[in-house]
Amino acid sequence: MRFLLLLGSLLALSFIIQEFLPVFDWAYGSRLLLVHALFLAAAIAVPFPAMLVMAFACGFFWDARYHVPIYPDGGTLGILTQSEVPFGFTIFLFGITGALLQGVRPLFRRGRWELPVFMIGLCTGIILLLEYLVISFHRGGLEVSPEFWWKLLMTCLFSSLVSPFLLLLLSRAAERMRYRIRMDGLKRRHTPDGDAF
Amino acid sequence: MSRLNLIFLITFIGMLIWVTLFNPGAVSTIQRGAQVAMSPFMKASNGIDTAVAELGGDALGPAQLRERLSQVEQERDRLKLEVIQLDEILEENNELRRALQYREKSLLSLVAARVVSRKPAQWYHTLVIDKGSAEGLAVDSPVILPLGEEAGLIGKVSEVLGPHSAVVLLLTDEMCQVSAKLENSQEQGILSGQRGATRAQPDLHLRYLSKEADAKPGTKVYSSGAGELFPAGLILGEVVSLSIGVIDAEVIVKPAVNFDELVDLFIILPNSSTEPEVTAPEATAIPPKPVSAR
Repeated sequence: MRFLLLLGSLLALSFIIQEFLPVFDWAYGSRLLLVHALFLAAAIAVPFPAMLVMAFACGFFWDARYHVPIYPDGGTLGILTQSEVPFGFTIFLFGITGALLQGVRPLFRRGRWELPVFMIGLCTGIILLLEYLVISFHRGGLEVSPEFWWKLLMTCLFSSLVSPFLLLLLSRAAERMRYRIRMDGLKRRHTPDGDAF
Repeated sequence: MSRLNLIFLITFIGMLIWVTLFNPGAVSTIQRGAQVAMSPFMKASNGIDTAVAELGGDALGPAQLRERLSQVEQERDRLKLEVIQLDEILEENNELRRALQYREKSLLSLVAARVVSRKPAQWYHTLVIDKGSAEGLAVDSPVILPLGEEAGLIGKVSEVLGPHSAVVLLLTDEMCQVSAKLENSQEQGILSGQRGATRAQPDLHLRYLSKEADAKPGTKVYSSGAGELFPAGLILGEVVSLSIGVIDAEVIVKPAVNFDELVDLFIILPNSSTEPEVTAPEATAIPPKPVSAR
Protein backbone atom coordinates (compact mmCIF):
# COMPACT_ATOMS: atom_id res chain seq x y z
CA MET A 1 0.00 0.00 0.00
CA ARG A 2 2.83 2.37 0.90
CA PHE A 3 4.42 1.64 -2.47
CA LEU A 4 1.19 2.48 -4.29
CA LEU A 5 0.88 5.74 -2.36
CA LEU A 6 4.46 6.58 -3.30
CA LEU A 7 3.64 5.88 -6.96
CA GLY A 8 0.65 8.21 -6.73
CA SER A 9 2.84 10.95 -5.29
CA LEU A 10 5.52 10.42 -7.93
CA LEU A 11 2.95 10.63 -10.69
CA ALA A 12 1.56 13.87 -9.23
CA LEU A 13 5.12 15.21 -9.05
CA SER A 14 5.76 14.19 -12.65
CA PHE A 15 2.90 16.43 -13.78
CA ILE A 16 4.60 19.36 -12.09
CA ILE A 17 8.03 18.51 -13.53
CA GLN A 18 6.44 18.07 -16.97
CA GLU A 19 5.62 21.80 -16.95
CA PHE A 20 9.33 22.57 -16.77
CA LEU A 21 10.48 20.19 -19.49
CA PRO A 22 11.36 22.08 -22.65
CA VAL A 23 10.54 21.31 -26.25
CA PHE A 24 13.73 20.55 -28.18
CA ASP A 25 13.71 22.18 -31.60
CA TRP A 26 16.82 20.23 -32.58
CA ALA A 27 14.84 17.04 -31.88
CA TYR A 28 12.02 17.96 -34.28
CA GLY A 29 9.95 19.66 -31.60
CA SER A 30 9.85 16.59 -29.37
CA ARG A 31 10.09 16.54 -25.59
CA LEU A 32 10.43 14.08 -22.78
CA LEU A 33 6.96 12.92 -21.79
CA LEU A 34 7.80 12.19 -18.18
CA VAL A 35 4.22 11.44 -17.11
CA HIS A 36 3.90 8.82 -19.87
CA ALA A 37 7.29 7.28 -19.07
CA LEU A 38 6.60 7.11 -15.33
CA PHE A 39 3.11 5.71 -15.79
CA LEU A 40 4.41 3.02 -18.16
CA ALA A 41 7.27 2.17 -15.79
CA ALA A 42 4.81 2.00 -12.89
CA ALA A 43 2.47 -0.21 -14.94
CA ILE A 44 5.18 -2.88 -14.90
CA ALA A 45 5.44 -2.80 -11.12
CA VAL A 46 1.80 -2.87 -10.01
CA PRO A 47 -1.12 -5.33 -10.25
CA PHE A 48 -3.72 -4.97 -13.00
CA PRO A 49 -6.38 -3.14 -10.89
CA ALA A 50 -3.84 -0.60 -9.66
CA MET A 51 -2.62 -0.08 -13.23
CA LEU A 52 -6.20 0.69 -14.33
CA VAL A 53 -6.67 3.19 -11.50
CA MET A 54 -3.38 4.90 -12.43
CA ALA A 55 -4.33 4.91 -16.13
CA PHE A 56 -7.62 6.60 -15.31
CA ALA A 57 -6.12 9.19 -12.97
CA CYS A 58 -3.13 10.03 -15.22
CA GLY A 59 -5.18 10.06 -18.42
CA PHE A 60 -7.87 12.22 -16.86
CA PHE A 61 -5.46 14.81 -15.49
CA TRP A 62 -3.37 14.78 -18.69
CA ASP A 63 -6.46 15.61 -20.73
CA ALA A 64 -7.58 18.18 -18.15
CA ARG A 65 -4.27 19.98 -18.64
CA TYR A 66 -3.30 19.35 -22.27
CA HIS A 67 -6.50 18.56 -24.18
CA VAL A 68 -7.09 20.96 -27.09
CA PRO A 69 -10.77 21.37 -27.99
CA ILE A 70 -10.62 21.57 -31.77
CA TYR A 71 -13.96 20.52 -33.19
CA PRO A 72 -14.15 18.78 -36.56
CA ASP A 73 -16.27 20.79 -38.98
CA GLY A 74 -18.98 19.05 -40.99
CA GLY A 75 -18.43 15.54 -42.25
CA THR A 76 -20.09 12.41 -41.04
CA LEU A 77 -18.96 13.05 -37.50
CA GLY A 78 -20.19 16.64 -37.47
CA ILE A 79 -23.09 15.65 -35.27
CA LEU A 80 -20.74 14.81 -32.42
CA THR A 81 -20.13 17.43 -29.79
CA GLN A 82 -16.72 15.97 -28.95
CA SER A 83 -13.48 17.46 -30.16
CA GLU A 84 -11.14 15.80 -32.67
CA VAL A 85 -9.27 13.94 -29.97
CA PRO A 86 -12.04 13.31 -27.43
CA PHE A 87 -11.57 14.25 -23.82
CA GLY A 88 -10.72 10.99 -22.09
CA PHE A 89 -8.89 9.47 -25.06
CA THR A 90 -5.62 9.52 -23.12
CA ILE A 91 -7.27 7.36 -20.42
CA PHE A 92 -8.00 4.77 -23.11
CA LEU A 93 -4.44 5.00 -24.48
CA PHE A 94 -2.90 4.67 -21.03
CA GLY A 95 -5.16 1.69 -20.28
CA ILE A 96 -4.16 -0.13 -23.49
CA THR A 97 -0.42 0.53 -23.20
CA GLY A 98 -0.44 -0.16 -19.45
CA ALA A 99 -2.06 -3.56 -20.17
CA LEU A 100 0.65 -4.28 -22.75
CA LEU A 101 3.37 -3.53 -20.20
CA GLN A 102 1.78 -5.80 -17.63
CA GLY A 103 3.11 -8.63 -19.78
CA VAL A 104 6.75 -7.80 -19.02
CA ARG A 105 6.39 -7.83 -15.23
CA PRO A 106 8.32 -11.13 -14.86
CA LEU A 107 11.29 -9.64 -16.71
CA PHE A 108 11.29 -6.54 -14.51
CA ARG A 109 11.15 -8.68 -11.41
CA ARG A 110 14.11 -10.75 -12.57
CA GLY A 111 16.09 -7.59 -13.18
CA ARG A 112 16.06 -7.95 -16.98
CA TRP A 113 15.15 -4.44 -18.06
CA GLU A 114 16.10 -4.50 -21.76
CA LEU A 115 12.61 -5.35 -23.01
CA PRO A 116 10.76 -3.11 -20.46
CA VAL A 117 12.96 -0.15 -21.49
CA PHE A 118 12.27 -0.82 -25.17
CA MET A 119 8.55 -1.31 -24.47
CA ILE A 120 8.25 1.99 -22.58
CA GLY A 121 9.68 3.84 -25.60
CA LEU A 122 7.50 1.87 -27.99
CA CYS A 123 4.30 2.45 -25.99
CA THR A 124 5.00 6.21 -25.79
CA GLY A 125 5.24 6.14 -29.58
CA ILE A 126 2.01 4.14 -29.87
CA ILE A 127 0.17 6.74 -27.74
CA LEU A 128 1.35 9.63 -29.94
CA LEU A 129 0.76 7.73 -33.17
CA LEU A 130 -2.82 6.83 -32.23
CA GLU A 131 -3.55 10.47 -31.32
CA TYR A 132 -2.21 11.56 -34.70
CA LEU A 133 -4.24 8.92 -36.53
CA VAL A 134 -7.44 10.05 -34.80
CA ILE A 135 -6.72 13.67 -35.81
CA SER A 136 -6.04 12.54 -39.39
CA PHE A 137 -9.23 10.49 -39.45
CA HIS A 138 -11.27 13.56 -38.53
CA ARG A 139 -9.51 15.71 -41.11
CA GLY A 140 -10.07 13.17 -43.85
CA GLY A 141 -6.58 12.26 -44.98
CA LEU A 142 -3.31 10.96 -43.67
CA GLU A 143 -0.43 13.40 -44.14
CA VAL A 144 2.81 11.94 -42.89
CA SER A 145 6.04 13.81 -43.38
CA PRO A 146 9.58 12.62 -42.52
CA GLU A 147 9.55 15.28 -39.75
CA PHE A 148 6.59 13.50 -38.18
CA TRP A 149 8.45 10.19 -37.99
CA TRP A 150 11.52 11.90 -36.56
CA LYS A 151 9.44 13.59 -33.87
CA LEU A 152 7.85 10.26 -32.99
CA LEU A 153 11.22 8.49 -32.91
CA MET A 154 12.87 11.17 -30.78
CA THR A 155 10.00 11.14 -28.27
CA CYS A 156 10.26 7.34 -28.03
CA LEU A 157 14.00 7.67 -27.57
CA PHE A 158 13.66 10.22 -24.75
CA SER A 159 11.20 7.91 -22.96
CA SER A 160 13.49 4.90 -23.40
CA LEU A 161 16.49 6.88 -22.16
CA VAL A 162 14.81 8.01 -18.96
CA SER A 163 13.07 4.70 -18.25
CA PRO A 164 16.08 2.82 -16.75
CA PHE A 165 16.31 5.53 -14.08
CA LEU A 166 12.58 5.29 -13.40
CA LEU A 167 12.72 1.49 -13.22
CA LEU A 168 15.70 1.72 -10.87
CA LEU A 169 13.83 4.20 -8.69
CA LEU A 170 10.77 1.95 -8.56
CA SER A 171 12.72 -1.23 -7.86
CA ARG A 172 14.71 0.48 -5.06
CA ALA A 173 11.51 1.88 -3.57
CA ALA A 174 9.83 -1.54 -3.79
CA GLU A 175 12.84 -3.11 -2.06
CA ARG A 176 12.82 -0.56 0.77
CA MET A 177 9.09 -0.85 1.29
CA ARG A 178 9.20 -4.63 1.00
CA TYR A 179 6.72 -4.51 -1.82
CA ARG A 180 6.59 -7.72 -3.87
CA ILE A 181 5.82 -7.43 -7.56
CA ARG A 182 3.07 -9.98 -8.02
CA MET A 183 2.31 -11.96 -11.13
CA ASP A 184 -1.49 -11.90 -11.29
CA GLY A 185 -2.68 -13.44 -14.52
CA LEU A 186 0.69 -15.08 -15.15
CA LYS A 187 0.47 -17.65 -12.34
CA ARG A 188 0.75 -20.75 -14.48
CA ARG A 189 4.31 -19.94 -15.38
CA HIS A 190 5.38 -19.08 -11.84
CA THR A 191 5.64 -20.66 -8.45
CA PRO A 192 2.62 -20.39 -6.11
CA ASP A 193 4.25 -17.70 -3.94
CA GLY A 194 4.50 -15.42 -6.94
CA ASP A 195 8.21 -15.76 -7.61
CA ALA A 196 9.21 -16.04 -11.21
CA PHE A 197 10.44 -19.52 -11.98
CA MET B 1 -8.67 -13.32 -15.41
CA SER B 2 -9.51 -13.09 -11.72
CA ARG B 3 -12.86 -11.74 -10.55
CA LEU B 4 -11.22 -8.63 -9.03
CA ASN B 5 -9.45 -7.82 -12.30
CA LEU B 6 -12.68 -8.25 -14.21
CA ILE B 7 -14.58 -5.93 -11.85
CA PHE B 8 -11.88 -3.27 -12.19
CA LEU B 9 -11.80 -3.67 -15.97
CA ILE B 10 -15.57 -3.28 -16.32
CA THR B 11 -15.54 -0.27 -13.98
CA PHE B 12 -12.64 1.25 -15.97
CA ILE B 13 -14.48 0.84 -19.27
CA GLY B 14 -17.69 2.26 -17.77
CA MET B 15 -15.92 5.32 -16.39
CA LEU B 16 -14.02 5.81 -19.66
CA ILE B 17 -17.30 5.88 -21.61
CA TRP B 18 -18.78 8.27 -19.03
CA VAL B 19 -15.80 10.66 -19.37
CA THR B 20 -15.83 10.63 -23.17
CA LEU B 21 -19.50 11.62 -23.09
CA PHE B 22 -18.81 14.80 -21.12
CA ASN B 23 -20.26 17.83 -22.88
CA PRO B 24 -17.94 20.72 -23.88
CA GLY B 25 -19.12 22.78 -20.89
CA ALA B 26 -18.10 20.09 -18.41
CA VAL B 27 -14.75 19.61 -20.18
CA SER B 28 -14.14 23.35 -20.03
CA THR B 29 -14.88 23.39 -16.29
CA ILE B 30 -12.46 20.51 -15.67
CA GLN B 31 -9.76 22.19 -17.76
CA ARG B 32 -10.27 25.44 -15.89
CA GLY B 33 -9.70 23.60 -12.61
CA ALA B 34 -6.52 21.97 -13.91
CA GLN B 35 -5.33 25.32 -15.22
CA VAL B 36 -5.85 26.95 -11.83
CA ALA B 37 -4.02 24.11 -10.08
CA MET B 38 -1.07 24.19 -12.46
CA SER B 39 -0.84 27.94 -13.10
CA PRO B 40 1.90 28.61 -10.48
CA PHE B 41 4.08 25.97 -12.12
CA MET B 42 3.26 27.21 -15.63
CA LYS B 43 4.25 30.74 -14.63
CA ALA B 44 7.45 29.53 -12.96
CA SER B 45 8.33 27.44 -16.01
CA ASN B 46 7.70 30.39 -18.33
CA GLY B 47 9.82 32.62 -16.07
CA ILE B 48 12.70 30.16 -16.34
CA ASP B 49 12.28 29.95 -20.13
CA THR B 50 12.39 33.73 -20.42
CA ALA B 51 15.40 34.01 -18.10
CA VAL B 52 17.29 31.36 -20.09
CA ALA B 53 16.41 33.09 -23.36
CA GLU B 54 17.68 36.39 -21.98
CA LEU B 55 20.96 34.89 -20.75
CA GLY B 56 22.55 35.24 -24.16
CA GLY B 57 21.32 38.83 -24.57
CA ASP B 58 23.19 41.95 -23.57
CA ALA B 59 22.37 43.08 -20.04
CA LEU B 60 21.67 46.82 -19.84
CA GLY B 61 23.27 49.05 -17.21
CA PRO B 62 21.32 51.63 -15.15
CA ALA B 63 22.33 54.49 -17.47
CA GLN B 64 21.28 52.56 -20.55
CA LEU B 65 18.00 51.62 -18.86
CA ARG B 66 17.31 55.28 -18.03
CA GLU B 67 18.00 56.21 -21.64
CA ARG B 68 15.74 53.41 -22.87
CA LEU B 69 13.00 54.59 -20.48
CA SER B 70 13.28 58.10 -21.76
CA GLN B 71 13.00 56.86 -25.36
CA VAL B 72 9.95 54.78 -24.49
CA GLU B 73 8.30 57.75 -22.75
CA GLN B 74 8.91 59.93 -25.80
CA GLU B 75 7.45 57.24 -28.03
CA ARG B 76 4.42 56.93 -25.72
CA ASP B 77 3.79 60.69 -25.88
CA ARG B 78 4.10 60.63 -29.66
CA LEU B 79 1.61 57.76 -29.88
CA LYS B 80 -0.80 59.57 -27.53
CA LEU B 81 -0.81 62.54 -29.90
CA GLU B 82 -1.28 60.21 -32.83
CA VAL B 83 -4.27 58.58 -31.14
CA ILE B 84 -5.85 61.99 -30.53
CA GLN B 85 -5.39 62.82 -34.21
CA LEU B 86 -6.76 59.44 -35.24
CA ASP B 87 -9.83 59.93 -33.05
CA GLU B 88 -10.50 63.26 -34.78
CA ILE B 89 -10.03 61.68 -38.20
CA LEU B 90 -12.30 58.78 -37.24
CA GLU B 91 -14.99 61.16 -36.05
CA GLU B 92 -14.75 63.11 -39.30
CA ASN B 93 -14.80 59.86 -41.28
CA ASN B 94 -17.89 58.67 -39.43
CA GLU B 95 -19.67 61.96 -40.08
CA LEU B 96 -19.04 61.46 -43.79
CA ARG B 97 -20.17 57.83 -43.49
CA ARG B 98 -23.35 58.94 -41.79
CA ALA B 99 -23.93 61.34 -44.62
CA LEU B 100 -23.53 58.47 -47.08
CA GLN B 101 -25.54 56.10 -44.84
CA TYR B 102 -22.59 53.70 -44.43
CA ARG B 103 -22.08 51.76 -41.23
CA GLU B 104 -19.78 53.64 -38.85
CA LYS B 105 -16.27 52.41 -38.20
CA SER B 106 -14.69 52.05 -34.79
CA LEU B 107 -11.10 51.58 -33.70
CA LEU B 108 -10.16 48.01 -32.86
CA SER B 109 -10.30 47.25 -29.13
CA LEU B 110 -7.09 45.49 -28.18
CA VAL B 111 -6.06 43.67 -25.04
CA ALA B 112 -2.39 43.03 -24.32
CA ALA B 113 -1.54 39.54 -23.10
CA ARG B 114 1.53 37.61 -22.07
CA VAL B 115 2.41 34.05 -23.01
CA VAL B 116 2.22 31.71 -20.02
CA SER B 117 2.87 28.33 -21.61
CA ARG B 118 4.30 27.38 -24.99
CA LYS B 119 3.50 24.35 -27.14
CA PRO B 120 1.69 22.41 -24.41
CA ALA B 121 0.09 19.99 -26.90
CA GLN B 122 1.90 17.43 -29.01
CA TRP B 123 0.07 17.71 -32.33
CA TYR B 124 -1.42 21.20 -32.08
CA HIS B 125 0.41 24.52 -32.31
CA THR B 126 -0.95 26.38 -29.31
CA LEU B 127 -0.02 28.85 -26.59
CA VAL B 128 -1.62 29.65 -23.25
CA ILE B 129 -1.98 33.36 -22.43
CA ASP B 130 -2.73 35.21 -19.20
CA LYS B 131 -5.94 36.92 -20.35
CA GLY B 132 -9.39 35.40 -20.48
CA SER B 133 -13.08 36.03 -20.07
CA ALA B 134 -12.54 38.82 -17.50
CA GLU B 135 -10.90 40.91 -20.22
CA GLY B 136 -13.65 40.13 -22.74
CA LEU B 137 -11.84 37.46 -24.79
CA ALA B 138 -14.01 35.04 -26.73
CA VAL B 139 -13.43 32.00 -28.91
CA ASP B 140 -12.11 32.99 -32.39
CA SER B 141 -10.84 36.43 -31.25
CA PRO B 142 -7.88 37.24 -33.57
CA VAL B 143 -4.45 37.53 -31.97
CA ILE B 144 -1.94 39.95 -33.46
CA LEU B 145 1.53 41.40 -32.92
CA PRO B 146 2.97 44.75 -34.07
CA LEU B 147 5.72 44.21 -36.65
CA GLY B 148 7.21 47.62 -37.36
CA GLU B 149 4.60 49.62 -39.24
CA GLU B 150 2.38 46.61 -39.78
CA ALA B 151 0.44 44.15 -37.64
CA GLY B 152 1.18 40.45 -38.00
CA LEU B 153 -1.39 37.73 -37.40
CA ILE B 154 -0.46 35.17 -34.75
CA GLY B 155 -3.64 33.09 -34.67
CA LYS B 156 -6.96 33.01 -32.89
CA VAL B 157 -8.30 32.18 -29.45
CA SER B 158 -9.41 28.56 -29.54
CA GLU B 159 -10.61 28.27 -25.95
CA VAL B 160 -11.21 30.64 -23.05
CA LEU B 161 -10.17 28.62 -20.02
CA GLY B 162 -11.09 31.09 -17.32
CA PRO B 163 -11.13 34.74 -16.24
CA HIS B 164 -7.39 35.07 -16.82
CA SER B 165 -6.45 32.25 -19.13
CA ALA B 166 -7.04 31.33 -22.77
CA VAL B 167 -5.57 29.04 -25.41
CA VAL B 168 -4.36 30.53 -28.70
CA LEU B 169 -4.30 28.36 -31.82
CA LEU B 170 -1.33 29.55 -33.85
CA LEU B 171 -1.34 30.38 -37.53
CA THR B 172 1.11 27.50 -38.04
CA ASP B 173 -1.59 24.96 -37.11
CA GLU B 174 -3.53 23.30 -39.90
CA MET B 175 -6.83 24.16 -38.21
CA CYS B 176 -6.15 27.93 -38.16
CA GLN B 177 -7.22 28.83 -41.70
CA VAL B 178 -7.07 32.41 -42.91
CA SER B 179 -8.42 33.94 -46.07
CA ALA B 180 -5.35 35.56 -47.61
CA LYS B 181 -4.35 37.61 -50.63
CA LEU B 182 -1.11 38.46 -52.37
CA GLU B 183 0.39 41.96 -52.21
CA ASN B 184 -0.70 44.22 -55.09
CA SER B 185 -2.98 41.53 -56.47
CA GLN B 186 -6.57 40.40 -56.27
CA GLU B 187 -5.46 36.77 -55.94
CA GLN B 188 -7.03 35.19 -52.88
CA GLY B 189 -6.61 31.80 -51.28
CA ILE B 190 -6.71 29.98 -47.96
CA LEU B 191 -3.60 30.02 -45.80
CA SER B 192 -2.94 27.36 -43.18
CA GLY B 193 -0.16 25.45 -41.49
CA GLN B 194 0.82 21.87 -42.12
CA ARG B 195 -0.27 18.88 -40.06
CA GLY B 196 2.55 17.25 -38.15
CA ALA B 197 4.95 20.17 -38.75
CA THR B 198 7.56 20.04 -36.04
CA ARG B 199 9.82 23.04 -36.61
CA ALA B 200 9.37 26.19 -34.52
CA GLN B 201 8.94 28.19 -37.71
CA PRO B 202 7.20 25.87 -40.18
CA ASP B 203 6.22 26.98 -43.66
CA LEU B 204 2.61 27.90 -44.34
CA HIS B 205 0.58 26.84 -47.38
CA LEU B 206 -1.52 29.29 -49.41
CA ARG B 207 -3.89 27.11 -51.43
CA TYR B 208 -6.59 27.58 -54.07
CA LEU B 209 -4.88 30.37 -56.00
CA SER B 210 -5.50 30.60 -59.73
CA LYS B 211 -2.87 29.12 -62.03
CA GLU B 212 -2.11 32.63 -63.29
CA ALA B 213 -1.22 33.90 -59.80
CA ASP B 214 1.74 36.28 -59.85
CA ALA B 215 3.52 35.03 -56.75
CA LYS B 216 7.21 35.83 -56.96
CA PRO B 217 9.46 34.94 -54.04
CA GLY B 218 9.40 37.80 -51.55
CA THR B 219 5.83 38.89 -52.37
CA LYS B 220 4.02 39.70 -49.15
CA VAL B 221 0.86 37.85 -48.13
CA TYR B 222 -1.90 39.64 -46.19
CA SER B 223 -5.21 38.61 -44.66
CA SER B 224 -8.01 39.50 -47.06
CA GLY B 225 -10.74 40.03 -44.49
CA ALA B 226 -13.10 37.62 -46.29
CA GLY B 227 -14.86 35.37 -43.82
CA GLU B 228 -15.07 38.21 -41.29
CA LEU B 229 -13.05 36.36 -38.67
CA PHE B 230 -9.75 38.18 -39.20
CA PRO B 231 -9.37 41.85 -40.14
CA ALA B 232 -8.03 42.63 -43.58
CA GLY B 233 -4.46 43.81 -44.06
CA LEU B 234 -2.69 41.80 -41.38
CA ILE B 235 0.66 40.57 -42.63
CA LEU B 236 0.95 36.78 -42.70
CA GLY B 237 4.30 36.20 -44.39
CA GLU B 238 6.08 36.26 -47.71
CA VAL B 239 6.14 33.93 -50.67
CA VAL B 240 8.95 31.38 -50.81
CA SER B 241 7.90 29.32 -53.82
CA LEU B 242 4.98 28.65 -56.13
CA SER B 243 3.81 25.28 -57.40
CA ILE B 244 1.18 25.07 -60.11
CA GLY B 245 -1.17 22.09 -60.03
CA VAL B 246 -3.74 20.79 -62.50
CA ILE B 247 -6.56 23.14 -61.52
CA ASP B 248 -5.01 25.61 -59.09
CA ALA B 249 -1.74 26.88 -57.65
CA GLU B 250 -0.23 26.65 -54.20
CA VAL B 251 2.30 28.93 -52.58
CA ILE B 252 4.70 28.15 -49.75
CA VAL B 253 4.78 31.10 -47.35
CA LYS B 254 7.40 31.94 -44.76
CA PRO B 255 5.61 33.31 -41.64
CA ALA B 256 6.17 36.99 -40.84
CA VAL B 257 6.01 36.37 -37.09
CA ASN B 258 8.70 34.46 -35.22
CA PHE B 259 6.46 32.11 -33.27
CA ASP B 260 9.32 30.87 -31.15
CA GLU B 261 9.98 34.26 -29.56
CA LEU B 262 6.47 35.35 -28.67
CA VAL B 263 6.23 37.00 -25.27
CA ASP B 264 3.63 39.76 -25.48
CA LEU B 265 0.78 39.84 -27.94
CA PHE B 266 -2.56 41.57 -28.54
CA ILE B 267 -6.05 40.19 -28.86
CA ILE B 268 -8.73 41.96 -30.88
CA LEU B 269 -11.87 41.96 -28.78
CA PRO B 270 -15.04 40.59 -30.33
CA ASN B 271 -16.96 43.87 -30.14
CA SER B 272 -14.42 45.47 -32.50
CA SER B 273 -15.60 46.10 -36.03
CA THR B 274 -13.08 43.92 -37.87
CA GLU B 275 -14.67 44.01 -41.30
CA PRO B 276 -17.21 46.76 -41.65
CA GLU B 277 -20.19 46.01 -43.82
CA VAL B 278 -21.20 48.44 -46.49
CA THR B 279 -24.88 49.18 -46.82
CA ALA B 280 -26.06 50.49 -50.14
CA PRO B 281 -26.84 54.19 -50.01
CA GLU B 282 -30.49 54.79 -50.61
CA ALA B 283 -30.58 58.23 -52.12
CA THR B 284 -27.19 59.36 -53.19
CA ALA B 285 -25.52 59.92 -56.51
CA ILE B 286 -22.15 58.73 -55.21
CA PRO B 287 -21.57 55.01 -55.85
CA PRO B 288 -20.39 53.01 -52.81
CA LYS B 289 -16.71 52.21 -52.69
CA PRO B 290 -15.23 49.09 -51.14
CA VAL B 291 -14.27 49.80 -47.57
CA SER B 292 -11.02 48.58 -46.15
CA ALA B 293 -10.90 47.51 -42.54
CA ARG B 294 -7.66 49.34 -41.95
